[in-house]
Amino acid sequence: MPDVQPLVSEFVLKLKRRKVEGSHAVARQTAELLRSVVSQHRMGSTNQAAALADAVRGVGEQLIAANPIELAVGNIVRRVLHIIKEEDISSTAVGIEGLSVTAESDDEYDSGNDDHPTLSAAVLAAHARNALRAPSLQTLLEDIPVSTALSRSASSAGDSDGKSGDKSSKARKLKHDVIAAIGDLIDEIDTCYDQISEQAVEHIHQNEVILTLGRSRTVKEFLYAAKEKKRYFRVFVAEGAPRYQGHVLAKELVEKGVQTTVITDSAVFAMISRVNMVIVGAHAIMANGGVIAPVGMNMVALAAQRHAVPFVVVAGSHKLCPLYPHNPEVLLNELKSPSDLLDFGEFSNCMNFSTQDGTPLLNVVNPTFDYVPPKLVSLFITDTGGHSPSYMYRLIAEYYSADDLVVRRKSTSS
Amino acid sequence: MEPDAAAAAQNPNPSTGPPAISAYYQTRAEHHAVVSSDWLAHAAAAASLPSSDAADAAADAATSLLSPGSNGGGGVIEEFNFWRRKPEAAEAVAAIMALAAVIRSSRATTMMELEIELKKASDKLKSWDATSISLSAACDLFMRFVTRTSHLEHEKFDAAKSRLIERGEKFGEISLKARKTIAMLSQDFISDGCTILVHGYSRVVLEVLKLAASNRKLFRVLCTEGRPDRTGLRMSNELAALGIPVKVLIDSAVAYSMDEVDMVFVGADGVVESGGIINMMGTYQIALVAHSMNKPVYVAAESYKFARLYPLDQKDMTPAHRPIDFGVPIPLGVEVETSARDYTPPQYLTLLLTDLGVLTPSVVSDELIQLYL
Repeated sequence: MPDVQPLVSEFVLKLKRRKVEGSHAVARQTAELLRSVVSQHRMGSTNQAAALADAVRGVGEQLIAANPIELAVGNIVRRVLHIIKEEDISSTAVGIEGLSVTAESDDEYDSGNDDHPTLSAAVLAAHARNALRAPSLQTLLEDIPVSTALSRSASSAGDSDGKSGDKSSKARKLKHDVIAAIGDLIDEIDTCYDQISEQAVEHIHQNEVILTLGRSRTVKEFLYAAKEKKRYFRVFVAEGAPRYQGHVLAKELVEKGVQTTVITDSAVFAMISRVNMVIVGAHAIMANGGVIAPVGMNMVALAAQRHAVPFVVVAGSHKLCPLYPHNPEVLLNELKSPSDLLDFGEFSNCMNFSTQDGTPLLNVVNPTFDYVPPKLVSLFITDTGGHSPSYMYRLIAEYYSADDLVVRRKSTSS
Repeated sequence: MEPDAAAAAQNPNPSTGPPAISAYYQTRAEHHAVVSSDWLAHAAAAASLPSSDAADAAADAATSLLSPGSNGGGGVIEEFNFWRRKPEAAEAVAAIMALAAVIRSSRATTMMELEIELKKASDKLKSWDATSISLSAACDLFMRFVTRTSHLEHEKFDAAKSRLIERGEKFGEISLKARKTIAMLSQDFISDGCTILVHGYSRVVLEVLKLAASNRKLFRVLCTEGRPDRTGLRMSNELAALGIPVKVLIDSAVAYSMDEVDMVFVGADGVVESGGIINMMGTYQIALVAHSMNKPVYVAAESYKFARLYPLDQKDMTPAHRPIDFGVPIPLGVEVETSARDYTPPQYLTLLLTDLGVLTPSVVSDELIQLYL
């Protein structure tokens, strides 16, 4: 643990200073950091998975606090916690033999396993999977019973001492599995562009007009892929004030030979009637299907809805956030420096602090994000395919466990 | 209360007469409504819990002496009525308790026999009050649980049987726990300074607001009157007792006050497969008004209220009627709309707060399909 602390503090500092740009970079670096946290973690003799999860949680808490706006950090931390749980359960299911080392963070499951180690591996695995899954109607009546209905004496107490050698190898295996799975996660983050752009030809048809706002790497790759498949289409790029990333995207598209038109953000409504589809990137997708996206996106979405143009959001699954937005326009937003909008010298005479009660007459507000409510989104394209906003919860249930929504160390919460 | 309940027990079945009164809504009115004008006194009496509890317990003891003697089909309904009369027990809990009692008194020796017996009892219970959605949903849920348990790991019939009974009797706890979970989940949705509109009395919504108040959140509640049983008055009384600023509206003032409302919180009698809800009369129009003014509508409902129904419109449900007191005699030859509930389609609901988590309306069908298919 002490070995990774400098790494952690360095990354925390970077996040705090907003040195890491874009949720992809953040997600990747978070995953790498957590991988080194896991590999540096010294496995104890009991409850390895819980201790491991706790270590991850401790680091995760710091990272999330460092930049609560960058939801990708929290997503990756939760994904890793979920991985630890999954690996732990699969390893218990395989080598069941009287081992009481479930180390599930879920207490019910823990005691259930301790009570009757003689249950068949299959049954136990089934229960473990239930514990992992979000609560459902199916388990409403039966979640607690395993520990209470059949109370058999805990005979595994003697075993656990004798098998310490076996255990340490098991612990190593668990750690190894978790590290491998985090490696897979990093690969998944890296390859999400390919996975998404593979679907491009299904959505972009010949002679279509596509509108996008600002610059998103996912959108760029998506359009490239369609171009490579010899689709002819035109792209309107809204420039994405105040950072004008749209200009960059336009240049990149032209280099690939895509017919491109740059428009101002305020011209979106004027042009939307000629557009067949809006394809945009996102900063984060919330659990209700709402989208946190670069500023100006809500306006585009509203224009698209007015003219019944499909509004498609492309995003890697690391942007999928299991939280519900509460007052997202304020709480999940960030105000950037006004220098994007104005040159410093330009308005210096308006910045006179001596007027009135010391507040300047001119205020400059530069929010980074917009919240697009789920009803304005027609389709999400993620690395697992196309999904409607109301289906997002399913993906979330697949990637995260329900009890990890709040990332906090167990010791502090209980 | 006693004569009313007796009357309900006598003739609740909608098939017996044209103006049949829904037993479900009768119970609700008994538990939550303030029918008389001296409702404050009544509520104050209810607030002084220890004494009334003792009286209740005595009454319960008296009834429980009667109820367990019964076995076979007829006993279910008595058992159900016994549980139903407890103000804190949800209807679903009463249903499952009644079914658990059937298992206990059953003389079946195989799982199959038990299932058949239970099926009979549950059908009887369901047809006894066809208007109660949570009753039939709870019966279905428990039957499903029985079927799944029987071919689960239990080889011995007695073990399986005792487990079923034990689980059934734990259901009261599950129900309470569900309410607690919902209250916890919904805390994120209530922010300081917000105004919440509630419709009539709902145990879950009250639990939510109670927890929010004890978390020292500052918010205001607008509470509709909830005609015809005026359950809203009971709700506002309980909220005021918690020190929450509360204002009572007549049901027709919802649109008028909607612009000062930040969110709508309603309970549900049943959540149907489309993700819409069936709830006391007036919920639909509140949801419509809220939707047109872009206010979120949150439904707080326990997951055992999820029912396998798919109403296509307002009339596509078993009719549930209730008497309405207009205060003045109704002119001769004038019809009265006595339906006790309406259906709110899913597109007017923002989120469902359930013990399974915060769900979008489309999750409901998913959960039901997972369970029943």
